[in-house]
Amino acid sequence: MSDFISSEFISAAIAFLLTISILSYLFGDNALFRSAVHIFVGVSAGYVAAVVWNQVLAPQLFRPIFEGAPNEKINASIVLFLAFLLMMKAIPPLSKFGTPSVAIMVGVGAAVAIGGAVTGTLFPQMMATINVFDLQAANERGVSSGIQFVEGGLMLFGTISTLVYFQFSAKRGDDGKTRHNPLIKLLVLIGKVFIAITFGVLFAGVFSAALTAFIERLDFLITFIAP
Amino acid sequence: MTKFFAPAIAIAVGLLVLLGYFLPNSSLAGIRVIIVQWAVILAGVAFFVGVINLLTVHIKKISGKGKGKVYSLLLVFSLLITLVVGLFSSSALNTIFNAVILPVESSLLAIMAVTLIYAGIRLLRHRNDLMAVIFLFTALIVMLGSAPLPFIENPFMGIRPWIVSVLATSGARGILLGVALGTLFTGLRILIGADRPYGGK
Repeated sequence: MSDFISSEFISAAIAFLLTISILSYLFGDNALFRSAVHIFVGVSAGYVAAVVWNQVLAPQLFRPIFEGAPNEKINASIVLFLAFLLMMKAIPPLSKFGTPSVAIMVGVGAAVAIGGAVTGTLFPQMMATINVFDLQAANERGVSSGIQFVEGGLMLFGTISTLVYFQFSAKRGDDGKTRHNPLIKLLVLIGKVFIAITFGVLFAGVFSAALTAFIERLDFLITFIAP
Repeated sequence: MTKFFAPAIAIAVGLLVLLGYFLPNSSLAGIRVIIVQWAVILAGVAFFVGVINLLTVHIKKISGKGKGKVYSLLLVFSLLITLVVGLFSSSALNTIFNAVILPVESSLLAIMAVTLIYAGIRLLRHRNDLMAVIFLFTALIVMLGSAPLPFIENPFMGIRPWIVSVLATSGARGILLGVALGTLFTGLRILIGADRPYGGK
């Protein structure tokens, strides 16, 4: 009996009930689905709050204040003061006192985003576009230079036309209507085709992942009912 | 005071972090680490402010006369139980993760398979232009080319890698570069004080 009602069994039973509740959405919105979603939101918020406390606030803010070296205590006290100001955001009449703390987060976020965008995306993606034209490396892989050059050219053209698609500025004529350069118009059309193909591939990937999850959930339900 | 003080703080910390990032051997690198740690802790506190707000909204719903009291009660109860358990036992937190978060997320992804089919059909019915056809045709070819067929050779298995590695990669690269350029300019606008999302006028 004690083996039957083990913690694993209770955990699996809760997972079974929640899975049934979520999958019931296939027959339309219902109370079971809404209950499961509300439990999910509550548990997720509680889970992240517990992780934030255990991994960030307790070791980096409160422990240094009580157990840290003098310089750590000063550093933690400054952050504690900023955190106190940030808590003011929850009280509407005092919310303006929280603005400096938000400004620190926004300033750091902007700087980190700039650094990440330049070193994590812009340079690596540009280098990858250039490296496609490395014909010697292609020959070493057994791909002919001509095919590699055409593929590289096509990829460069696709990248540029996709980028051009995101340019929404246009000149205004004497009659007040916006006018686009015909070449830009053509590039935008080709860019749209490349974007449609890219999203098609992404759609197929997400659908495959969703189908795999669906099969896994059905397998879990069957295994739980008839182990 | 906030009018000048908040933008000055945002610009100063932003520039210090950025300079520390691009000059890793200077003394600014150490300052960058400290400021980023401050921001991480403040982000953690901001999350707690959000949780308190979520609790306040749902407790008001429970004590009010509107619909959905039971759902709010479930949310508040599950949040508090998880938080209290999580503060004292990391193994219990793992059990909660495996019993609730993992199956619900997996099930939500599972119902997305049906939702995506429905969305594809709706797309063809309501917007059957060239781009919609290219989009669905590509998705179909990529899916058909994903697995071998019994008894006959799958004709889509040859073209699938080319579509993925040449056509889709170039489109994705253009989108990524566009997103990175957008991020770069949004960040720079904050660092020169043109955008002030923290509330300074």
